[in-house]
Amino acid sequence: MKKTMIAMILVGGRGTRLGDITSETAKPAVSFGAKYRLIDFTLSNLTNSNIDTCGIVTQYEPFDLMYYIGSGRSWDLDIIDGGIRFLTPYARKDNILWQKGTAHAVKQYFNFITSYNASYVLILSGDHIYKMDYQEMLKHHISNKAEVTIAANYVDLKDASRFGIIEVDKLNHAVGFEEKPDKPKTNLASMGIYIFSVDALEEILKKASDDDIDFGKNIIPKAIKSEKVVSVFRFDGYWRDVGTVKSLYDANMDLLDDSDFLDLNISKNLPVYSKSLNLNPHVMLEKAKATKSLIADGCLINGEVIHSTVAYSSVIESGSKIINSVILPRVTIGHDCFLQNVIVNKDIVIPDNYRCESLDLTLITETNMFEVGGIYD
Amino acid sequence: MTNLFMIIDATSKGNFSKLTRHRVPGALPFGAKYRLIDFSLSNCKNSQITNVSIFPYGNYRSLNDHIGSGDRWDLNRRNDGIFILPPKSLNLTVENEISFQRMYEHYEYFLRSNQEYVIVSPASLVWNVDYNIFLHSHLMNKADITEVLSEDNKRLKTYILSKSLLLDYVDNYNQIQFRNLSDVFDYAPNLERHIYKFNASCCLVNSAKELYEANMRMLLKNVRKEWFKQNRPIYSKETMSAPSRYGEEAIVKNSIIASGAFIEGKVYNSIIGRKVHIAKGAKVYNSVIMNQCKIEENAVVEYSVMDKETRVLENSVVDGDIDKLFVSEKKQVVVSDKSLSILQATAECYPYVKTGGLADVVGGLASQLSLQGVQSQVIMPMYPVIKKNYELLLEIVATTKVDFDGLSYRVDLYSLINQNTTYYFVDSYHFFDREKIYGYPDDGERFAFFTKAVVAFLDALNQKPDIIHIHDWHLGLLPCMLKNMNLNIKTLMTIHNIEYQGIYSSNILEKAGITPLIHFVNGKLNFMESGLNNATKITTVSYTYRDELKYEYYSKNLVDIINLRDRDFYGILNGLDDDISPETDLEIENKYTLVNVFEAKSANKLDLQKRTGLEQGEDYFIMGMVTRIVEQKGFDILIPALYEILQNPLVEFVILGVGDEHYHNSLLRLKERFPSRVSLNLSYDATKPNYIYSGADTFLMPSRYEPCGIGQMISMKYGTIPIVRQTGGLNDTVDAYDLSSKRGNGFKFYNYDSRDLLFQITNAHNIFVNHKDDWQQLIINAMHSDFSVADSAKEYIELYKIV
Repeated sequence: MKKTMIAMILVGGRGTRLGDITSETAKPAVSFGAKYRLIDFTLSNLTNSNIDTCGIVTQYEPFDLMYYIGSGRSWDLDIIDGGIRFLTPYARKDNILWQKGTAHAVKQYFNFITSYNASYVLILSGDHIYKMDYQEMLKHHISNKAEVTIAANYVDLKDASRFGIIEVDKLNHAVGFEEKPDKPKTNLASMGIYIFSVDALEEILKKASDDDIDFGKNIIPKAIKSEKVVSVFRFDGYWRDVGTVKSLYDANMDLLDDSDFLDLNISKNLPVYSKSLNLNPHVMLEKAKATKSLIADGCLINGEVIHSTVAYSSVIESGSKIINSVILPRVTIGHDCFLQNVIVNKDIVIPDNYRCESLDLTLITETNMFEVGGIYD
Repeated sequence: MTNLFMIIDATSKGNFSKLTRHRVPGALPFGAKYRLIDFSLSNCKNSQITNVSIFPYGNYRSLNDHIGSGDRWDLNRRNDGIFILPPKSLNLTVENEISFQRMYEHYEYFLRSNQEYVIVSPASLVWNVDYNIFLHSHLMNKADITEVLSEDNKRLKTYILSKSLLLDYVDNYNQIQFRNLSDVFDYAPNLERHIYKFNASCCLVNSAKELYEANMRMLLKNVRKEWFKQNRPIYSKETMSAPSRYGEEAIVKNSIIASGAFIEGKVYNSIIGRKVHIAKGAKVYNSVIMNQCKIEENAVVEYSVMDKETRVLENSVVDGDIDKLFVSEKKQVVVSDKSLSILQATAECYPYVKTGGLADVVGGLASQLSLQGVQSQVIMPMYPVIKKNYELLLEIVATTKVDFDGLSYRVDLYSLINQNTTYYFVDSYHFFDREKIYGYPDDGERFAFFTKAVVAFLDALNQKPDIIHIHDWHLGLLPCMLKNMNLNIKTLMTIHNIEYQGIYSSNILEKAGITPLIHFVNGKLNFMESGLNNATKITTVSYTYRDELKYEYYSKNLVDIINLRDRDFYGILNGLDDDISPETDLEIENKYTLVNVFEAKSANKLDLQKRTGLEQGEDYFIMGMVTRIVEQKGFDILIPALYEILQNPLVEFVILGVGDEHYHNSLLRLKERFPSRVSLNLSYDATKPNYIYSGADTFLMPSRYEPCGIGQMISMKYGTIPIVRQTGGLNDTVDAYDLSSKRGNGFKFYNYDSRDLLFQITNAHNIFVNHKDDWQQLIINAMHSDFSVADSAKEYIELYKIV
């Protein structure tokens, strides 16, 4: 089966900077915006871009993510001659093939690409929030006769050291690439989204040494040095790499403050799909109050929710007040609690009269609950 | 795995008014994010049932769309799965329950099903249950058939029986009197019956009101607990919407909100569907708002059911009432009650001139419209009888000349005002100064001329009409004439009886100078066909008649145009004048209300027997009829049935009416056979209809078709129990009495067949003789039935707003 372009989503590592939020979950399966998981955005972009074949390269806590994605049906990716494949570590006769890095994983699964006889490979991350039509990027790739195309976005200079920073020439070709530089030369950041012509990718990976395990750190800089045509595709829309507790919180607040955020509620153009969990609509009881907030299905609210997101199947009892916070799924908050500037990790039960109102953003987890706050009568 | 397979009965149409115009009840949105059928299908999944069939009526597109492959309920299996089995014969009209005939059409399905037992249950039943508990109970009790009742003894139309027993009935559907499983449970001999009482919350949703109530029950904590269980989730189609968003000034109490909703206003005690927007300052109280509705700024909505995508414009006030909910149609735009101006154009109008029911409807509607704040005007020809009776009140308003067939005629416009309605009379010596209203060879010319005069006088009216509401064929050329003249006035045409179409020579068009815009069959001018083609919207006088007209059996030569206009075609039931009441009736011997009905009816019965020469006695079962004696009214099936039932020496029959001679003769022969127990009054003056309405026990209307019918409504108001054929308005007004729940106000049969009529008469007689309590309950139920003209007018006003 010949496919023009197939995608590979690199789920990668542990996501340590998200703390306990990823203790039992791969990063793409982290909850965002009350009802979504981060991976929803990438999978929806694929289906909206008519790319129906996708390998998901994963090895850290894959269970939750695999269960969530299932056959890919919620994103129309359950097709017969393509669809979703999970590319997990496997044992060969001599050893187990652990993935040492993103590029290393693609190299291990190169036969996935050749089996579809694809001309182009789209390399994606599973934990970004954005909407993009990848066909536009492919058009750019082809019309610029590129061998590699990198999607890039301007970021605040003060944040630039978190990203891969690109230098371009007049032709919009990358001439320099530094992964997470201490002193960034520009603020044009790689989004971690690449299109490779398959021949070029094969050649680069063949030449790569055993230590060249990462696209951003090793492969892209080498491609530029070896004078491959590396083009840059500018993307102006909303794009966030949710790598830290703070950025996860900020993205939730962005969604709260913009009622047209990514047009999530409009089914035309590029809709964002999510898997239905068969939850009943949420219930607002007699003492409930919600302003400037988002509440998902399955919740039962009898307290006050102000400028916060409340993810699915959470309960907020009477007398409690939640301000400027992000409540992850299946949280139960007892009576007369007060929470401000917090992220509450999923599946937590907050006891009656609990308070946590630090001025700095705080992640409340099962283990730190009584360190960051406490019960006050 | 279970040994059960399931038949979901989606054949019932219920009474949902506009909500089911484009969908079957099972596909109705419910509980903010579900459809009614989600509950039945989820119960199947949670009961490990893998073989499910759905029998829908008519338009099941929306149901089909919702169910898809059935994968949401794990019903996309290699073996078994979900089957939608449509009606094969389009000539079947809608019934209240799945019939054996419907099952017979898909006999192969039953043969292929491997399970030994079957559960039959309606698509519009909201409950959360493992069906295996019913099967278990059925087997433990060694029953042949088990019926499931609700906590308060309501019938849920849910039955469990073995496939082999079911197939016995299906095989013989055309030889037995039982049409469906309710009939079997009630009447079949030699069956071991078992009743399972279901003791958790459930709602069988059969009307807009019940849909509302079931939604409101979701606001109760214990009901939510019983319907939404963690171990038995309710599954629904997967959709795409963002989490619900609350604005800065949102206030929401005691409500259920689906995802995608955006709430900036106030919501109390309501169910809010997906992607509903409630704008700033808007208030929603005690209402059900379905998906994608928009309640704009400062609008107020109370006690309403808003169908999908309804828009309530800013500052509009929609104040339904708990007893009279406001129900919108899909995509309706609801505006404030700015004053509407309606002109009814008609051939007759009560009290000025009347030959039939048409005059009552027009007159009743005209005065109700005024009462409800609409600018109401009526225009009709000036007949000599009007001139004579109202001479002192009439004022001349305008005079003009109207050209017709090369000549120019002078016409005068008179008017009078009665209770805020203005009545206009078009006076033409040449066309209308005649003894009779209709019945002249030039009736076609007369009403073509009248139509021309109406258009000519439009500028002379007090109020420029927003909509011209025309009745029956007489004004059928008006919409076409307005189009010819590029006058942009909307028209609503009401069909009172499609048998009268006004078919005349097409040279009338030339005489009147009309370009017809359509080609008529056979080259003859058909007034009604022209109206149906060109009117903006069309109505008829009952919901069932509206549906029946889709079939050639009822609408004959006009079947194609009716089906073409299906989207613009509505049913609105005629009302009954509030003045008609046994409480104020001056004619009858004993006036009565619910308080003294049983004594008074006995006395009136004796009085009726005395006046009509029947044998006297309280124990007689009197069947009455007040009717035109014509084929339509069912005399072909009635007379054989009467011969049978009158074999019983305690049954009597009284009829008042005139009509076809050969039926008169048949009735006379019947009278010869049973001289002391049959009373014929074959003219309008031998007895008074009111004696029959107040003195008979039952009232027969076995009509072949009946657009609306008024006799059954009057008889119910008088506590006389109707036995009717399930057609037209008879079907909409009479509910079959049900011995277990004590609900219903009469008796109905489906087939146009003597045996079926006789079966129901016998059934009624049996209750009359052996179940006195039930008979009294029937009388109470019948007298409680409500068919007010005000409600009917309210529905017309709703429709005027969306024309």
